[in-house]
Amino acid sequence: MDYTKQEYMAIATGRELRDGELAIFGVGLSMLAGYFAQKNHAPNLRAFTEGGVFGSTPVGGLPWGIECNRISANATSFTNAIDALGCLVASGRCDVGIIGAAQIDKFGNVNTTGIWEQPPWQAGKYVLPKVRLNGSGGANEIAVGCKRYLIMAAHEKKRFVEKVDYISSPGYINGGNDREKYNFPGGGPSAIITTLGILRPDPVTKEFYLDSYFAYSSIEEIKENTGWDLKISPNVSVVPEPTEEELRNLREVDTTGSLRKK
Amino acid sequence: MRNKLITMQEAIAKYTWDGMTYAHGGALPVGSDSIAFGREMVRQGRKNLNLISNCNTQQSNLLAAVGAVDRIEVGFSGLEVYGFANGLRRAVESGKTIIEDYSNGAMPLRLLGGAMNWPFVPATICIGNDQQWCCADRPDEYPSKTKIPEITDPFTGKKYGAFSVLKPDVAAIHVTMADIYGNAIMLGTEWSRYELSRAAKKVVLQADFIVDTDCMRQYPNLVRIPGEIVDAVVYAPMGVWPACSVGVYDSDEEHMFEMNNAFKTPEGTEAYVKKYVLGYNSREEYLAMIGKEKIEKLCNNPTTHLMDPYRKWIKSEAEIKELEGR
Repeated sequence: MDYTKQEYMAIATGRELRDGELAIFGVGLSMLAGYFAQKNHAPNLRAFTEGGVFGSTPVGGLPWGIECNRISANATSFTNAIDALGCLVASGRCDVGIIGAAQIDKFGNVNTTGIWEQPPWQAGKYVLPKVRLNGSGGANEIAVGCKRYLIMAAHEKKRFVEKVDYISSPGYINGGNDREKYNFPGGGPSAIITTLGILRPDPVTKEFYLDSYFAYSSIEEIKENTGWDLKISPNVSVVPEPTEEELRNLREVDTTGSLRKK
Repeated sequence: MRNKLITMQEAIAKYTWDGMTYAHGGALPVGSDSIAFGREMVRQGRKNLNLISNCNTQQSNLLAAVGAVDRIEVGFSGLEVYGFANGLRRAVESGKTIIEDYSNGAMPLRLLGGAMNWPFVPATICIGNDQQWCCADRPDEYPSKTKIPEITDPFTGKKYGAFSVLKPDVAAIHVTMADIYGNAIMLGTEWSRYELSRAAKKVVLQADFIVDTDCMRQYPNLVRIPGEIVDAVVYAPMGVWPACSVGVYDSDEEHMFEMNNAFKTPEGTEAYVKKYVLGYNSREEYLAMIGKEKIEKLCNNPTTHLMDPYRKWIKSEAEIKELEGR
């Protein structure tokens, strides 16, 4: 069947969302995965953006931002950041969120802030980054507050590292029960959906292992592209390929074909 | 109440100065920021700014690109789907601008704290990670104990983070429409403009439309910024360009990329400033610079119905000229 890696990834992410849930999406890929789910199998998904745009679906293509006209044309309510990120997300009320990552580690901690020659935790001080990235945005609230959240990332060795340079959005921090120290209302990341497969956290250690891989990939390829000694589930399986119906629904959401560029 | 309508040039001359703590927005990267206000700050050569930006926008990207920003506190430093903000990025990587990172939820909470005159704000966000541990103001302190100090809940004994509050000297806030007294209606997400309007010591509005006060009397529930807390109002059509103003115009995709690409280098920045910041001397010239055809295209977008209830109260350019500075 003809689909791109990005489309497989978006569909695999969308399948993690359940009908009726209260859900928050960021811009780009995560928004497409989310609205795909709403169109495909979760018509009662209650979605909003961190700006407090409610009841809308994208019009005229992938929104440039979570506040832009493409996501504001058919909204039923506009509120604000304190409402969306505070009352609904950081509070612990939101069921599920989707975030992206520039760098990610084995405990699901996400870095979107910068790349360092010597990261702050190693240098023992906050030195200038070699490359400045975007900061946490609203992903920190999602990571802290959502009952569970999904992380989407391109599966490359330089991104999947033993320990991230900077934690912008906390996963399980140092693993185990580390989140409990901070009284986070949310439960942490439930899956990392990559361009090659799906990783899930061990229920006790919280280290992410390989749960399943995409039909075009393999366990070997995924291990080669992961910067830590990735454990493999004894029940590892192939992620079902996108069905024709799923692809049709995704492409109706992705009207400008942003996921079809190879 | 008095007529607060003044020109952009007057607003920058009166309400901005070198070394000030300046807040804008409180917008998201692609929409609803007072970008024309920032252009005029560059035109008048403002520098050594301490910026409060909930998110980076093309305004903070421009101010950082020209080297006018000593320090910025921010929740998000990119341009969403338009990519990394090259001007801000260059300023941070070169060490010119100190960037203090928070999250998108932390910035409005800190503004709310400033608005309420609270000593600090307790929360569970930004803790247990590097927003708490890395302090750009005191870089040798790692993990930092002073940026977002740990605090004990007096009721439960549990540990949380304590956030310092924000009280900017001046906030330049974009609104869709305002009357001459500063009563304002915002279309689209408010983001953190409500909190910002209460946290700042002085508030200047930048409006796409100046409307008659009868409009506010018809929809008083929608007037989230009342004139009582506003110092000045500036009429700035297409003032958020190249970003978008919901209900009025779309983001200008071509120019968003062109502007950000220019900021990659000092030479590109200089050329951009010459053409698009110093290249006009009045509202008419500013609009001519964007171009009639481009404006028509951007104004033809799927959100224009949002403006329909208000159109009959919109004041004309001639009426506004008459009211400015009176």
